[in-house]
Amino acid sequence: MNRREFIKDLALGGVILRYSPSLLAQASPGPDMAIVTGESPAAITREALAAMGGMKRFIARGDKVMIKPNIGWDRTPELAATTNPEIIKTLVELCFDAGAKEVTVMDNTTNQAQRCYARSGIAEAAKAAGAKVPFVNEFRLKRMALKGEWLKEWPDFADFVEADKLINVPIAKHHSLCRLTIGMKNWLGAIGGARNQLHQKLDEGMVDLASFFKPQLTVLDAYRILVRNGPQGGRISDVKLQKTVAASIDPVAADTVAAGFFDIRPEELAYLGIAEKRGLGQTNLEKLTVEKRAV
Amino acid sequence: MKKERSRKYRALQYLRIVSQAFFFGLFLYLLFKTHFTGQDYIGRVEVFFHFDPLLAIATAIAARVLFASFILAGITLAVTLVAGRYVCGWVCPLGSVHQFFSFVFKKARLLKPRKEEKSGGRLVWKYYILIVILVSCLFTVDLVGIADPLSFLYRSFVTGVIPWFARAGAAFIRLLYGLKLSSAGDSLAQFFGTLSLNQTFYQGFFLSLLFLAAVLLNVSKERFWCRYLCPAGALLGLFSRWNVAKVRVDMDKCIKCNLCTLHCQTQANPYPNEGWRSSECVYCYTCASICPTKAVYFPVKTKPEKITSINLSRRRLIFTSALAVIAAPFFKTTPAGKRAAAKLIRPPGALPEPKFLEKCVKCSECMKACPTNALQPALDEAGPEGIWTPVLKPKIGYCEYYCSLCTQVCPTGAIKELTIEEKIKVKIGSAWIDKNRCIPYALGRPCIVCEEHCPTSPKAIKFVMVETKLPDGTTATQKAPVIDLELCIGCGICENKCPVVDSPAIYVTSVGETRSEKNRLLLETLQPGSPLSPDGQRDQ
Repeated sequence: MNRREFIKDLALGGVILRYSPSLLAQASPGPDMAIVTGESPAAITREALAAMGGMKRFIARGDKVMIKPNIGWDRTPELAATTNPEIIKTLVELCFDAGAKEVTVMDNTTNQAQRCYARSGIAEAAKAAGAKVPFVNEFRLKRMALKGEWLKEWPDFADFVEADKLINVPIAKHHSLCRLTIGMKNWLGAIGGARNQLHQKLDEGMVDLASFFKPQLTVLDAYRILVRNGPQGGRISDVKLQKTVAASIDPVAADTVAAGFFDIRPEELAYLGIAEKRGLGQTNLEKLTVEKRAV
Repeated sequence: MKKERSRKYRALQYLRIVSQAFFFGLFLYLLFKTHFTGQDYIGRVEVFFHFDPLLAIATAIAARVLFASFILAGITLAVTLVAGRYVCGWVCPLGSVHQFFSFVFKKARLLKPRKEEKSGGRLVWKYYILIVILVSCLFTVDLVGIADPLSFLYRSFVTGVIPWFARAGAAFIRLLYGLKLSSAGDSLAQFFGTLSLNQTFYQGFFLSLLFLAAVLLNVSKERFWCRYLCPAGALLGLFSRWNVAKVRVDMDKCIKCNLCTLHCQTQANPYPNEGWRSSECVYCYTCASICPTKAVYFPVKTKPEKITSINLSRRRLIFTSALAVIAAPFFKTTPAGKRAAAKLIRPPGALPEPKFLEKCVKCSECMKACPTNALQPALDEAGPEGIWTPVLKPKIGYCEYYCSLCTQVCPTGAIKELTIEEKIKVKIGSAWIDKNRCIPYALGRPCIVCEEHCPTSPKAIKFVMVETKLPDGTTATQKAPVIDLELCIGCGICENKCPVVDSPAIYVTSVGETRSEKNRLLLETLQPGSPLSPDGQRDQ
């Protein structure tokens, strides 16, 4: 094949792909989203990834993977302020099974990091599965161009940017300012600096962050959800058992699904509208292929 | 006479150095373990203090109460009574620091041993210091923490040496990254992360200088602190007259070279032997091992020794005591005892202020344990007695909701030990909003960071919708914080995380603290069932 032929083929192929979405859909290795309910957090996580076409769809052999849970608070798992440790453990195992070379689990916590890592159960669970669970390291904080609409620049932890693959694992919680803190808000844990000042324009800020970090996969922890006194809770009565995990390639859709558990329509959450307008994803789940299962 | 040094005493000297290194290592180990290590309860990392008879006696006198843990101090007293001041020479970690630097300064020729006055000269100072401390304690002015060797050492390490270590470590890590040794930098940064060292202390610089001064005094005299200043040494000195371990010089072998007395670490004067001071000897075995003719030896004899050559006359004793009697009331003349101070936020579990001051030995253990660096040494917040006692500074750190470490490590019970369940019910102050600075109130912009961080459930910070006139004449409506004082525990996380960083728009003052009957606000906050309900511990 000479160069001219190659370019011709390329153009032709492009045209065919452009005008025949069905062809792409057939080539697609799985649905856009899988929602699984069941008793065991580990089992429903495993099933959700299986429904998505397996972790191999997202992780290639030799990848360095970063898993970003919410470990923000000094609370135990049953208080639903931090991501479920069993879900994190399962994801680490799946990443290694898919051939990942290295899996790191980390978060910039709000309470003392040592307490949050230990009492959330996440450090122990992730380490047991072979992941590295370092504390955020101020020396790896780098001022980066976010190129957001509001946030042009912000100091971020290089670990999240340098990883080959990024998996966001938020827990769905009530929040007084933005109503719900789910996946996009979770990126506040990947950055440093004066994070508390983002509250002055939180909706725009978190969309800017979400469009910068762009995870390959979002795994929504809605096993327990925090329905009041968020984002920390503190009493079992603040927690509702939802027993659901949703895996999604669309971060906006993942947050939309979570909102449904709180009986909140997507248009009530300002950041979902902003994110959709920016092309980060869909709030209309009808436009996506969604696989629902129960274990 | 054949000149030969004793190998036996040389070996004993080495054994003493090993012992000192071991106990200094133990001190460091326990100190570095004093933080959150993954468990809610960390065990008796403060155990060194309980072997200190000075703290035991001073606390017992000042607070008129016996603290059971101090039973261990009886061991120290018993050892001293039977054998002499071995604890000073072989165990005390501050003694080891002074000994080490004396050795270094000697080797560097900065410290040249000179012949001392026969009278003992300044040796008597430490006895005066001891008397002033104990007599003041009678008047419930507890100054022991200022000069107690363990308090001094711990305080210096917690507020000075460890912050220095952490920052030096950070500089080294930065260097590693600069040299592109990123993986070494990463590992070292993680290592420091697991130590959770507090690096910021008001007075850190000043307290470091004090420690440096104490170390540099060794240029003037070997173990200067131990010889002239240490009140705990003085106390043990008073108990070492009846001890059975003596120092004797075999006059048949002695060549009167005076090396033993010249190099005596604590001026105990082994030669001439009738001038040996049992009360000063710390059994370092330097004299016996340096003697060129094996003339110095340590026999066991039961005859008591006279406290010789230390001019501790009755007249001076009475004079010093009188001085303390006169001085003690001066410490009470400040308004600190009269009225609660807004910024005097004590750690949870702290006893009512007068009781707290009687018991606190200013050791900084709580400041080491605090996970957020919130506890800071006081300067004038608590009056002159309260210098270097712990005060919570929300601008530096906040009280971590599920943590009760500071209450567990307090060696004297000045901070009453609390379980986590008890601790979360203790109110240490109340939060207030400065509406002139609060972002939603003053600027009409969204914020409520304080509400997000409030750890209680239901939250003590709630929000209301407020209207704010903007500079352009329009009106903004925002969620703004309001405080429910019934729920607020005064932890200070709101002040700590407030985005108005220079002078936070929400701040905590001590009013409403559970421990006080006077510093109240809402009567309902004094729950009779609460663990610190002031039954039996009322502040007057």
